[in-house]
Amino acid sequence: MAGKTILEVQNLTKFFNTPGGQLHAVDGVSFTIEEGRTLGIVGESGCGKSTTGRTILKLLEPTGGKILFDGQDITGYTRKQMRPLRQEMQMVFQDPFSSLDPRQTVMQLISEPITEHKLLKSKSDIEDRTLELMRTVGLADRYMNVYPHELDGGRRQRIGIARALAVNPKLIVCDEPVSALDVSIQAQILNLLKKLQADLGLTYIFITHDLSVVKYFSDDIAVMYLGQMVEKAPSDLLFQNPLHPYTKALLSAIPLPVVGKEKPKRQLIRGEITSPVNLPDECRFWKRCDCTQDKCRNGNPGLREVEPNHFVACSCV
Amino acid sequence: MGQASEIKNQYKKRTLFQETWRRLVKNRGAMLGLGFLVLLVLAAALSPVIFNYEVDVIGQNMQDRLMGPCAAHWFGTDEYGRDLFARVVYGARYSLIIGVGSVALGLIVGTILGSQAGFHGGVTDSIIMRGIDIFYSIPNIMTAVVIVSLLGPSTVNLMIALAFSCASSFARIVRASVMTIRDQEYVESSYAMGLPTWKIIVKHILPNCLSPIIVQITLLIGTTIISASSLSFLGIGVPAPAPEWGALLSAGRGHIRDASYMCIIPGLAIMFTVLALNLLGDGLRDALDPKLKK
Amino acid sequence: MAEELVLDIKNLVVHYVTEDADVHAVNGIDIAIGKKRTLGLVGETGAGKTTTALSILNLVPNPPGVIKSGEIYLEGKDVLKMSPSDLEKMRGNDVAMIFQDPMTALNPVMTVGDQIGESIAIHQNLSKKDAFEKAKEMLKMVGIAESRAYDYPHQFSGGMKQRVVIAIALACSPQLLIADEPTTALDVTIQAQVLELMKQLIRDKEMSMLLITHDLGVVAEVCEDVAVMYAGRIVEKGTVDDVFNHMRHPYTEGLFDSLPNLKERGEELVPIKGLMPDPSDLPPGCAFAPRCPYAADVCSKGVPPLTAVDGSPTHFVACSAYSNPEFSLRGNKDGR
Repeated sequence: MAGKTILEVQNLTKFFNTPGGQLHAVDGVSFTIEEGRTLGIVGESGCGKSTTGRTILKLLEPTGGKILFDGQDITGYTRKQMRPLRQEMQMVFQDPFSSLDPRQTVMQLISEPITEHKLLKSKSDIEDRTLELMRTVGLADRYMNVYPHELDGGRRQRIGIARALAVNPKLIVCDEPVSALDVSIQAQILNLLKKLQADLGLTYIFITHDLSVVKYFSDDIAVMYLGQMVEKAPSDLLFQNPLHPYTKALLSAIPLPVVGKEKPKRQLIRGEITSPVNLPDECRFWKRCDCTQDKCRNGNPGLREVEPNHFVACSCV
Repeated sequence: MGQASEIKNQYKKRTLFQETWRRLVKNRGAMLGLGFLVLLVLAAALSPVIFNYEVDVIGQNMQDRLMGPCAAHWFGTDEYGRDLFARVVYGARYSLIIGVGSVALGLIVGTILGSQAGFHGGVTDSIIMRGIDIFYSIPNIMTAVVIVSLLGPSTVNLMIALAFSCASSFARIVRASVMTIRDQEYVESSYAMGLPTWKIIVKHILPNCLSPIIVQITLLIGTTIISASSLSFLGIGVPAPAPEWGALLSAGRGHIRDASYMCIIPGLAIMFTVLALNLLGDGLRDALDPKLKK
Repeated sequence: MAEELVLDIKNLVVHYVTEDADVHAVNGIDIAIGKKRTLGLVGETGAGKTTTALSILNLVPNPPGVIKSGEIYLEGKDVLKMSPSDLEKMRGNDVAMIFQDPMTALNPVMTVGDQIGESIAIHQNLSKKDAFEKAKEMLKMVGIAESRAYDYPHQFSGGMKQRVVIAIALACSPQLLIADEPTTALDVTIQAQVLELMKQLIRDKEMSMLLITHDLGVVAEVCEDVAVMYAGRIVEKGTVDDVFNHMRHPYTEGLFDSLPNLKERGEELVPIKGLMPDPSDLPPGCAFAPRCPYAADVCSKGVPPLTAVDGSPTHFVACSAYSNPEFSLRGNKDGR
């Protein structure tokens, strides 16, 4: 696994100032991704996974930490400096209903990034490339002049993917790309994303709340809770041997579509995610955890490597 | 090569504009208003051809004074014997030019201010919007009176005066729409695409606040025509002897008992024009409403 | 089946008639729920699940919705023939409904205690004060401290709000609870808590439930019976064991194959090709035929009726392919 590192994030933080105090949306997240691989970031709403994705793409200004893309430190880049880099790193958004301008046709939507980055000059070249992209993502030719509101969620998400592909990026951040879709359509889109990765050698950051999707999709998985990574491991390892109590609870909370066969016993966790405002220096999870010990309240346990490639942030493991 | 454009033409379909028009045609009130406005615009445009301004519109003819509506003078004549029909039709030119002119001026200024305030928020927003609030708190007519008195009465100055209040309404509407659209994911997606800010505003944000703006344009032209008439009625609008509708009303005031048609006819002209504009505005609002889309 | 039925829907047909289309939302479905049974109604967006649920309360928005035909018996009385005042008495008292989005289901300017008390006061003729006391009990029952009865909805998190909604629904001890995607808007760990709570309450109060969901996992967790809906028709129904372990309909199989839950990494998901047909323009014959990998000529000729599987008293499937006695689903051949 000695691939080329395409993205390195070091101790990334993003705070928002709210009337109640400082909101720690992302609080010291570090990871690296190698070219052609997929990192899944999993967590519940409010854990900072989407903010992480947006901060990496510099759609939000990071408060602290470092983002190295292809060896280049882009942390302090301005919007203008970022513009050429937008060709390399793209995003697929969660909501296929609000992420497409309702006044543009499919053709205009997909050709926009091509024109913007001046990848092609002549109008007919641009149109041909758009058609090619539409076919790549499985949109029928007849949708060329349609407006997004005339299409269903799955097709709209295909437009979103085609837009991201239009500039031939290396890295795509997928923010919950399938959670607004029906299961049968969800499978179509997941297969498409996988095929594109194999064909084009893309690197994905796959942000989702759905563990079953991420297991299927990712090489490595990072579990986030209250702005921090609590566990990070290769996908299979994480599912076979989850160590952090939050990961365990998350795994056992998935309702499995299995009847009459042996199912693992559910571990319910009590309470709900606490507010990420003005966090004290303690384990973020201890209030909902069963193994409350004094050491959990004294200092925030950082990620430790407990077995090769398996990192956990828990004092009790 | 060119395969795509062939396919593009093969699946050609109605544009958003055509779609809106199709829905608008179904609305009877709006079509009635539109029909009236088309007639009015045609009459106003052709009036210099039909009438001789010096003779028919402002030329005095004392032996025909204060004649009621009759075959020779459809709308009667005024106290100087001028044909009221010619004056009302010619007056449409003034009302329409002032209405459209001040709204256009207000639209440009208001859209720029409103989109800046709405997009950037924060301090920019506070400065622009508090300035507009100050203008808003002074009655429109008063602002207009002050401006016209300072600049001197003329059609252009009247337009500028009225444009102030239009600009503040547009600024508010544009700001509100921009603020909601600014947070939509497709704006973020445009950033991720690498578009510069000004392009995002022009290409993605403003076209999406078009519907409230178009509706406001039609409604504001109506109110502006009324304001212009009020100012002329007060004698600080378009200078005499130009036949602005408000001035006609004002001239008729003295004869309201013996020649009431002198007030009624220009009054009806104002009323129908504003009504037509409002009908059209309401129709457009319904036709542009994306919720009605399938 | 001589068991007492709480809900019995017979041949329900609901259309939405709009200016330019006649949308066939529900096209003749039969559903029966016995006492203390929980039925899961599964299907994708646009299958007609929510319309079915609204019909039970006679709440289909009209216009554009029109209940074309059918009978809906709630404990023996036909809902569609009830007078408006009987309907009001029935809603909330005999049948209660939980909606998908807890954020919008509560009135933001009333305390939650008052909101729970409101329906108790109306249906049980209690004074406002007694109703409020009862409301506190309900809150405790759904796992919220009584003292929070004086709080407003915005002071609660999403999961807590859904608990409040459940408390309101159960306040009058209805015979039937209709839950429309009750946990879809919640996080998984919270979903697990809420499902656990619902299961326990239904058991304790001896209620029946119609659970509408797109999530087969939730059905497996909560329901005893399941009906799979596609384009306004029920294509397969039976006990969860029938449908999950001995599925017969190609659409059911497609749904399971689309799920990443049970797959190993690297295995390709098998999505159902194409899309759900436009409900204003349904294909003739079986609505699933255009997407069905097993479709034969017979499928486009006439809508297949729900037929018992191998004489089973509980398991029914609507698929023409079984007219050929040799036919079986691929998954079944593999010995799933």
